[in-house]
Amino acid sequence: MEKIKIDDKKTLAFPRFHHYNYGIRYIVEQGLEQRYLMLPEATKETIELGSKYSPDYACAPFKHTLGSLIEALNAGADVLIEIGGLCRLDYYGALQKEILRELGYRFEFVNLAEYMGGRKKEWLKLAKRLNPKVNMAKLLTGVYDGVKMAEYMDEIEEIYFRSAAFEAEKGSFRRICRQFVLEMQTAESRGEIKEGYQKAKQALESLELRRPRYPVRIGVVGEYFTAMDAHSNQNLQEKLVRLGASVERYLNVTNCHFRAGEAALRPRIREYVQYNMGATTTWTVYAALSYAKRGFDGIVHVKSFGCTPEMDAVPILQNISRDFHIPVLYLSYDTQNSDTGLDTRLEAFYDMLERKKKVLR
Amino acid sequence: MRKKAYLGIDIGSISTKGVVIDGENRFLAESYLWTEGDPTGASKRVLQQLKEQFDGEAYHIVASGTTGSARRLVGAMLGAQVVKNEITAHAVGTTALHPDVRTILEIGGQDSKIICVENGVAVDYAMNTLCAAGTGAFLSSQAHRLGVEVEQFGEIALSARKAAPVAARCTVFAESDLVHKLQVGYPKEEIIAGLCKAVAGNYLNNVAKGKKIVAPVVFQGGVSKNAGVVKMFEEELHMPVLVDEKGHLMGAFGIAILARESHKESEFSFDVADMEFRTREITCGKCANHCEIICVYREKELIDAWGNRCDRGAVR
Repeated sequence: MEKIKIDDKKTLAFPRFHHYNYGIRYIVEQGLEQRYLMLPEATKETIELGSKYSPDYACAPFKHTLGSLIEALNAGADVLIEIGGLCRLDYYGALQKEILRELGYRFEFVNLAEYMGGRKKEWLKLAKRLNPKVNMAKLLTGVYDGVKMAEYMDEIEEIYFRSAAFEAEKGSFRRICRQFVLEMQTAESRGEIKEGYQKAKQALESLELRRPRYPVRIGVVGEYFTAMDAHSNQNLQEKLVRLGASVERYLNVTNCHFRAGEAALRPRIREYVQYNMGATTTWTVYAALSYAKRGFDGIVHVKSFGCTPEMDAVPILQNISRDFHIPVLYLSYDTQNSDTGLDTRLEAFYDMLERKKKVLR
Repeated sequence: MRKKAYLGIDIGSISTKGVVIDGENRFLAESYLWTEGDPTGASKRVLQQLKEQFDGEAYHIVASGTTGSARRLVGAMLGAQVVKNEITAHAVGTTALHPDVRTILEIGGQDSKIICVENGVAVDYAMNTLCAAGTGAFLSSQAHRLGVEVEQFGEIALSARKAAPVAARCTVFAESDLVHKLQVGYPKEEIIAGLCKAVAGNYLNNVAKGKKIVAPVVFQGGVSKNAGVVKMFEEELHMPVLVDEKGHLMGAFGIAILARESHKESEFSFDVADMEFRTREITCGKCANHCEIICVYREKELIDAWGNRCDRGAVR
């Protein structure tokens, strides 16, 4: 069916990925000056769609992103954007493009795997392709501000998971974060982004906390997509907060892409790792080691089923667990849709940490 | 004046266990029977049995707790003060009876876990994640194939001269290995011994991977009643493995202790065993998640509901 065009703008779409779609939308709308298709929250149908057309042994992130892309096409996207990565994710874009073409969809596909590590000139060419009338100054500001938005969102999220379990007034943390996300959705300039961030940060910091003397602290480490994307890990961090824990996750877009890189982190874990094991294992081990050294009570390791780089990280985490006497809960995700098994394991893990703390004090 | 007592019920996939204890962890009544896919019915039968053994003149039950995979449902039914996962309950129960225990091995009907204990408190645990290989359900189905009662497995395994090698990595592989061994004429007892060895080996290579097993070791769960598996564990670990005669009741015992420690009290009456409970599932249609919401009714009155992922599906 031919789509009816109101203007000559293209509609771009990107798979759902935690809260980063807001930043991407900002870049597309304010920088590239094209239309962005914001998908509503993922449902059970997303992953069903994704699994149906995926190779069985592809990892869960492949299925989640493919499901998102199909939903985006059904909602009228013209251009799909898929990213590359440091594991087999780098080939996912190419494969998904073929799968979608075979399904009979017509679309333009931008596989960022082809551009990553490439030169600036190539990126500018891509921008020209997506919008021939692109304004370079506007594009650069847009990218800068969009990245800033992602960083701010990571920071607010960090505060939320660290302290939300101890809020004096129930729901107060959530309310502020919702308002913040709403403001990021409507922001059209750097000023608005910054204002929303400062307001949220101040509001969160002025909230009254009833912090127990020895709160249970849990660190989350693991595979890039599943550890970050709350829908993929079945709201793992929120579940831990509801049990009463303070939760931290070093792994986020800010720390992975805009802060110390792999080569800078590796010397800090040299007692455990001598070379780069690929994907995000360096971040996993670095974060786990720093949680152990900072006296955290437990670590949760998250990966999609069959994720090879993270499987390689497991023996190292076992060494850290033994050396620092810190228990590690290993979770593997596929396309299950029942929460019961996860709830049992998390509750048992939290109870154990809490009782241990009480007895050993 | 009547003394205080505490009720604990552990509703597993295969069996349902119940105990009543007093303030000093002494067993006043106990019951163990098959769940048979009907958790409310099994719990009612457990309550009947407990009621018969229980001395209502000397004691009264002031708190109750539920654990196991149907804990939420039966907890709603009893109005339990504590509803907790079976891992916590097992750790609490076992450390109360064996304060010096360092490692708890547990193989149940559908899952298996290991709990490491230091100074009487659990410090680490692991649970099988993806596959049910080597659990009670696997042994039962293989017993059926061999035409033997699963209860006799231990005895037969001990009578074998040696254990036939059976692949332990995965239920499907183990099964095809087993069929192959049968067809080439291995004696039945050697195959059964091989299965027991496979269960122990699979457990140590999967669930207990990377965990340090320190004596004293306590082995519990339904499979601990199988002397063949116990022997294989002792051979593999080179240390004695203790099986408590009350090992199968540990979850129920632990949750009864947790009910007492909660200090929440309200009079419990065995009358619930005669009431009618019904559950109904509704599929929430407010978004594409289609959450399955479980509603529990007592005598046509809605007493609990759960299963919704967001507030839109809240029933009450």
